[in-house]
Parts: sequence; C-alpha cells; structure tokens
Amino acid sequence: MVSTLWSNAVALAQQPPSPVQPIQPPSGPSELGSYLPIVILFVLAAAFAIFSVLLGPMVGPQRKNRAKTEAYECGIEPSPQPVIGGGRVPVAYYLTAMLFILFDIEMVFLYPFAVSADALGLFGLVEIFLFIATVGFAYAYVWRRGGLDWN
Amino acid sequence: MLATVLTAQPVPPADKLSAPAIDYGAIMPVLIVLGAACVGVLVEAFLPKHQRWPVQVVLSLATLAGAGIAMAVYLGDESTPKNGVITLAGTLAVDRPALFLWGTLLVLTLGALLLIADRSVEPGGAFVAEAAIRPGTIQDRAQVAGTGMQTEVFPLTLFALGGMMVFTSANDLLTMFIALEVLSLPLYLMCGLARRRRLLSQEAAVKYFLLGAFASAFFLYGLALLYGYAGSVKLADISNAAAGTDRSDALLFGGLGLLVVGLLFKASVGPFHTWTPDVYQGAPTPITAFMAACTKVAAFGGMLRVLQVGFESTSWEWRGVLWGVAIVSMVIGAVLGLTQTDVKRMIAYSSIAHAGFLLIGSIALTDQGLSGTLFYLLTYGFTTLAAFGVISLVRNADGEATHLSQWAGLAKRSPVTAAVFTFILLALAGIPLTSGFVGKFVIFSAALQDGMAPLVVIALIASAVAAFFYLRVIVLMYFSEPAADGPSVTVPGAFTTASITLGVIATLVLGVLPAFALDWAGSGTFAFQ
Amino acid sequence: MSAVLAAAAAEVSTGEAIAFWVLGPVALAGALGMIFARNAVHSALWLVLTMLSLGVMYMVQQAPFLGFVQIIVYTGAVMMLFLFVLMLVGRDSSDSVVEVLRGQRLWATVLGIGIAGLIVGAVSRSLTDVPVENLQQQNAGGANVNNLGKSIFTEYLFPFELTSALLITAAMGAMVLGYLNRHEKGMKRTQKELVEARFRGEYERPSPLPGPGVFATANSVATPALLPDGSVAPESLSRLIDSTASETFSDEIKSVAGTEPGPDAHALTPSTKDTSTTDTKNTEDTEETR
Repeated sequence: MVSTLWSNAVALAQQPPSPVQPIQPPSGPSELGSYLPIVILFVLAAAFAIFSVLLGPMVGPQRKNRAKTEAYECGIEPSPQPVIGGGRVPVAYYLTAMLFILFDIEMVFLYPFAVSADALGLFGLVEIFLFIATVGFAYAYVWRRGGLDWN
Repeated sequence: MLATVLTAQPVPPADKLSAPAIDYGAIMPVLIVLGAACVGVLVEAFLPKHQRWPVQVVLSLATLAGAGIAMAVYLGDESTPKNGVITLAGTLAVDRPALFLWGTLLVLTLGALLLIADRSVEPGGAFVAEAAIRPGTIQDRAQVAGTGMQTEVFPLTLFALGGMMVFTSANDLLTMFIALEVLSLPLYLMCGLARRRRLLSQEAAVKYFLLGAFASAFFLYGLALLYGYAGSVKLADISNAAAGTDRSDALLFGGLGLLVVGLLFKASVGPFHTWTPDVYQGAPTPITAFMAACTKVAAFGGMLRVLQVGFESTSWEWRGVLWGVAIVSMVIGAVLGLTQTDVKRMIAYSSIAHAGFLLIGSIALTDQGLSGTLFYLLTYGFTTLAAFGVISLVRNADGEATHLSQWAGLAKRSPVTAAVFTFILLALAGIPLTSGFVGKFVIFSAALQDGMAPLVVIALIASAVAAFFYLRVIVLMYFSEPAADGPSVTVPGAFTTASITLGVIATLVLGVLPAFALDWAGSGTFAFQ
Repeated sequence: MSAVLAAAAAEVSTGEAIAFWVLGPVALAGALGMIFARNAVHSALWLVLTMLSLGVMYMVQQAPFLGFVQIIVYTGAVMMLFLFVLMLVGRDSSDSVVEVLRGQRLWATVLGIGIAGLIVGAVSRSLTDVPVENLQQQNAGGANVNNLGKSIFTEYLFPFELTSALLITAAMGAMVLGYLNRHEKGMKRTQKELVEARFRGEYERPSPLPGPGVFATANSVATPALLPDGSVAPESLSRLIDSTASETFSDEIKSVAGTEPGPDAHALTPSTKDTSTTDTKNTEDTEETR
C-alpha cells in the first residue's frame, strides 16, 4: 500500500513542475494561509461561548436562592480548605502530572516522525517502535504497581 | 485530491533516507547495560515483591559480566581498529580511552552493586522499604524493622552506568548532554532512598537535584553557544572551526566556559563542589560509593574528551583558568578536610582534593596526561569504593556511626577493619606501595613534562596537608581508648566482603605492579573525526 | 531608524503584521498579569496566555515545529507542572515580603536594568545589522518538520533513543517517591479488618462518626449535624476543616438551643461568617427573620 503510494508520488514528482503552484496561500511569503481554518475555528468557538454566556441571563428567568448561586449548582458545596497543610494537595497528585508529561514528551517525538515517515521508510518505523516500546516499559511499571489506580 | 496534495509536497524521491551505520560489536557493552536496565524495569513491574531482590541481583551481576565479556571479545578481535571507530552517525566514539573507561566503570560498578545488594550489614539493606512513606510517621517507624527494600535501585544503577558509559564515549555535545542526564537522574533519586536518617537523605537528594539541574543548564547553554559558533555540535567540527577562523571568540569561550562549569560540577571540582559533602553524607553509603567512584570516572572521562578533542587548538586561552580551578580545588579539599568531624564528609573533601589532582592531569594535553589521568581514575575509584565499604561497617543502634569521635580506638575492637581502613587512607594520601602513589606520580610527571611545575609544587603541598587529616584518623583508631558506648563493627556478609576485598586488592596490586594497567591506559588516544 | 523600520516592514506581509500587532499586546498583557496577579494560580494562567501567544508567534515566524512544541510542552506540560507545584505548596500561601537576602532589591533592580539593556541592545542590533532571512525555501511543503524528523531519526538516532531511558527514570522516580500503595498488606485496613478492630476496642468507638448535617440552606460538608434535642453533635465536626471548629457555630448553637431572641425555623441558617460568602439577598432575609 505504502509502496504504491510512493510510486505514485515518484511518478508525480517526476512530471515537469506546473508553472502555478496549486496550493499557495494568498498571504505571500509566509505559509500563514494554511492556518486560516484553525483561526476560523477559534473565532467560531469564541463567538459561540460569548453568545451563550450573554444569551443565558437575557432570556432565562432569574430567581436566585442560595443553592442556585453555588458553583455548578449541583452536588455538595465545596468544603473549606483543610487546616492541616494550608490548602495543599497530597503529593500523590504530582504523579499524575509527571506521567502526563512523560507521554506528552513522547508525543513531541512522534510528530516529526509522522511528518517524515515516508522518507524514513522501514528503519524509521523500527526506530520509533523501539522508542515506544521502551517508554512502554515505564508505562507497564506504573500500571502494574497501581500508579494508574485512583484511590 | 491525492495528486494535488502530493504535487504540493516538493519532496524529491532521492530524499529516501537510510539508517545510520551501526557497529554493533563496538557498542555492545552499552546496549547490554541499557537493555538489561529495561529488563530490570519489567522485573519490577511483573514479579511479586519477594522475588524481586534475588532476580534483580542476578540480572545486574549477569549484565556486568555480559558487558565485560562483550568488551573483551571486541578487544580481542583482530579486526578491531587500533585507533577506534566512530559509529551511529558520528555520535559515539569507541576508542582506546573509551574502552579503558568502560572497563573501569564496569568493574567499579560491580563493587558498588555488591554494596547495594548487601543485606547482612543492615537487615534489609541500606535502602528504605517504601520511599513514599513520610519520614517520622507511624508507618515509617514500622518499616524500619521490616526487611524490604526498594529494588528499583538495581535498574536505576544500570541506567546510571549506561549513561556514564555513553558519556565517556560521546563524540558530540548533544549525545553528551543526554548521557549526562541519564547518569544524573537515577543518582538524584537514589540519594534520597536511605533507610536510616531519611530526612538527611532526602535533603541530600533535593540539594543534589537542584544544583545538578542548575549545572545541566550551564552545560546546555554552553552547548548552544558552541553550536552558534561552529554550526555543529560535533567535537571535531568545533575543533576545526576554532583552528582557523575569524568567527566571534566570545561565542567560543563563552560556550566553553559554561560547558566546563557543567562538567566540573559533576566531577565535584572546587569551587563547584558545594553539593559534595552534604550529598556524600546524606546518601545511602553504597550509593555514595557508586557516586564517588563512578561519577568521577565518567565526568573526567567526558572532560578529557571535550578538552583534548574539541579544544586542544585553543588551549593557550583557557588553560590558565583551569590552572586556577585546580589550585582552588586542591586547597579547598585539603584545608576544609582538616576541619571535618564526620568520616563521610572527610572523604568527600578528600575527593575534592583528588578532583584537583585529576584536573592537573586533564589539562596536560599530552599522551602522558591522558594515560595518567585514566590510571588515576582507576586507582581512585577502587580506593574510595573500599573506603565507603568500610564506613558502612562501623555502626551503632542508630545506623552508621560516622562521627570521628566514635572511631576512637577502633583498632582495639576490630583490628582487621582498622588495618584495612588504614591501608585505604594511606592510599588516599599517596604513600608508596599503594596505587595512590603511582597515580600521583604519573600525573605529576606528565604535568612536569608539559611545563606545569608551579602547579605540581602546589599539588605536593596540598597532598602533604591532606595526608595530615588521613593520619589523624589513623592515630585516632590506634592510639585512643575506645568509648564505653562506642559503635561496634559489623561482620560483613559475602557481598560487602567481596566488594571491600576487590577495592583493597586492586589498590595494592596497582600500587605494586602498575605496569599492565599503565600500558592499557596508554594504549591509544581519542579518535578524532 | 525609520528607514530601517520601513525596510523591515517591506519584508513583512500583511497577515504577519496583523498577527504580530494582535499577539504582541496579548503576550505583554499576559506577562504583566502574571507579575501583578495576587493569586498564584491566576498568575500561572496569565503565563499560559503569554506562552500561547509566543507559540503562535513562532509559527508566524516560520518555525512551525517550535510553535507546536511551545504549545504542547510549555502550555501543556510545563504549565501543568507549575500548577501542581502551586497546589502542592498550597495555593493560599503568599509570598513573604521580608527581604531574606541583604540588598536583594538593589541587586534585583541593577541586574534587571542590565538584562533589559542587553535585550534592547540585541534587538536593536538585530533590527539594524542583521539581514532578514526568509525561510520559505527551507520550509517549503512542510519541510521544516520534515528536516527535523530526518535529523532526529538518522543523525541523532542514538541520543533520541537514549531519551527513552530518561523517561523511564522519570516514571520510576515519580512512582518511588510519590506513590504509596495503600492496598498492600499493613497499609490500609479492609472494611472487614476495620470492623473487627473496632469491636476489639482498638478505636474510640465501634461505629463510624456521624455524617455532616446537610440542610436545605447549606449543603456543605462543613455543616454540623444536629442531635434530636437541637444541639450540635460535636463528633460531626471535622477536625480537618477550619470553619467547623465549634466556636464558629456559637450563634447557631444558641439559636438551636433557643437562647437567642426570636428563633424560628430559619434559625438553622449558618452563622454570620458563613453568610458573608453568599449573595446579599440571602443576608437580608436573615436579618429580617432575626
């Protein structure tokens, strides 16, 4: 499958280049044009959020009582901070942050691999699987020791 | 659609890449050590608690043996090039100095690993059963009596060893930096795992971590400046760029300065030594032995390569500064060592003084300087390993009795221990018939040949001052009356005995018959490519 | 100077200029907000804004990989660590304003001005002396990330694989130092063991402590439970929670016991300290009933 795609690409690349580049951002020297969909998405999301927040108080009835003003308006009231430790969270939560960062870093390496996977070929695949497997050992250790359980 | 996408990507087909060439025979020891560390992690993950210790001990010892055999096979092979190979796209240089340092590291780690694995001196070993339990709580008091330990120290030790081996053979600064982190992170962690005096141990770990992270940042910044100077992180490219160029010297020397600060920190050379006494004192004694012996070997191995391969052509400019650093380190080690009242801190200051001697050998950019420094690293590693092995034996109810006053009259309680420790202290002082004397001799003669006579004079004075505080301990052990409630000397089990014996015999043999090791240390120079 | 700026402007496309003038002030506002925010968590969130703006700016500057890594690693991972550290330290703990180091402010000012001078010098030099490079050729067709990928997987293959050792060490370190398996033997008792221990008399009472009193007016766990005679059950007050210390409920206890003038069903409203957090309308209600 990959090889047919590749031969396609080879054939296409060997054709004489067309005088006009088919996909060229309108904004000139930089490639900023390719980010336009993301910008539109952000604008739409922000607009929707602002719209919803503003619309609610306008159309809804406003009969407040104490329970209604609570955060999320459900469940129990958040209890005050514990005296012991001055509002600290236990160190166990730090584990979660640390594990998140590990796999975050792994992802940073996967990104350039994915982009140039075609040129790297089989040995690139072997390399990245070696990397994923070794980081997987850390994952296996954390999982077997119960680091992923929430208690 | 596919067609448009593909034509939009002007990647020519000739761009198909190929994997870098790998000389598996040359790098097999490193691969074995790192692979076994990964297996050790899986052992931690999948084996039940009671099986972990024996499996990890066997795995770690087998790894060291396997790596040693792989190295012997590679060295014995007729087709092995004498001036070394550069493999993995120029990131690793496996040459004679690298192989010497690998051998040194493997043997010293064997000794340290035996101390780490020992469970006879302290029931359950020197490591805490559950490091996550807060010190001083009810659970913490309960676990002191238990015999469990965090067996994670075995794979962590192997990772650190792998990092050290890569560090000594890294041919470019980027690989060197990552190796530096690989060797440092497990050490930071293991420093905080002592079974006794846990707060002191955790404090040591935090200090070492914060200062180490700071030193790594220095190293990284220096690396970045040198990349800006030479357009490459390869040591040979930096050297070529510095040889004939009109580029900005500010980048070159700024980069070198920051880089060397990072290296001097790891090697605990004064004035970058401030972490050393606290960390040596607080860490579990087997880890202190591992750090003192192996980290010093790795750090000076890396420094030798950086200075000799990357910056030999500019040595006129920077050598004066390192002269000063060596003097400061020797003076700090010798003078502050005099004022110590704790045995572990005293050995820590002694290591700072020794780092100064080693730096003298490192800045003598000759073949004698290289082989002398390599030999000194070997001898110092064995001696300091045995020293910490003996320190772990003198104990009272609270654990190790490290205060000097508690060592008074030790010879009357245990003549053998006192005799062994005396021999080690004499070796540290550099008395003839010990390896310390031969090591100092070869380094000082190399320095004299390279025109550093004033430095040698200062080094001799510092040695004499340092010898005073070693002799003070000997006098204390032999000519004082033991205190009534003084510590007792534990009879060590097989592992600790083997480790101390290894260190003492190596110290003796290298002192009496040093020729074979000197030949090996001088059998080749760094590969330059 | 204006000629230089004009020359530089000629190199900058309209889109880039718009992006800069939007993102620049946002980044600056984030940085200022970080310094001046009183709450440490707000400070961290302001910093996120700055980092995000910088990430987008990198992309505008033709460094897409750097931009993405800035967003993934800095705004994602590093900020998360920041927030966790803040919570470990306690989000209410504020800075001490006492100068621990002598002359710290003086030196901070001097060095701050020095750094500012260096940065201004570097930027002004880069605006005047350094020619503008357009990376379009090198980056064509997504080659920025491509080139990086090729370097990582061929030239720097070994350091890349070696980083996995770092990640494993980090995971082990976090587990060893931070994780305590409470289900193991001797750690936390199972329900059965706990009941048996209670009836053997190892604890003060055989039954669990009474739960908090949850009323229509306040459903906080900090609300004390009331006994049938209307008095507060002291055992329902958590020792851990500050505002439930029994003295803060003295008003409530009075009102329940009938020692306060004019009690009625609304006397179960919380003490004045508690009502200060609710809206004013409710407080007025309380005043009226009293």
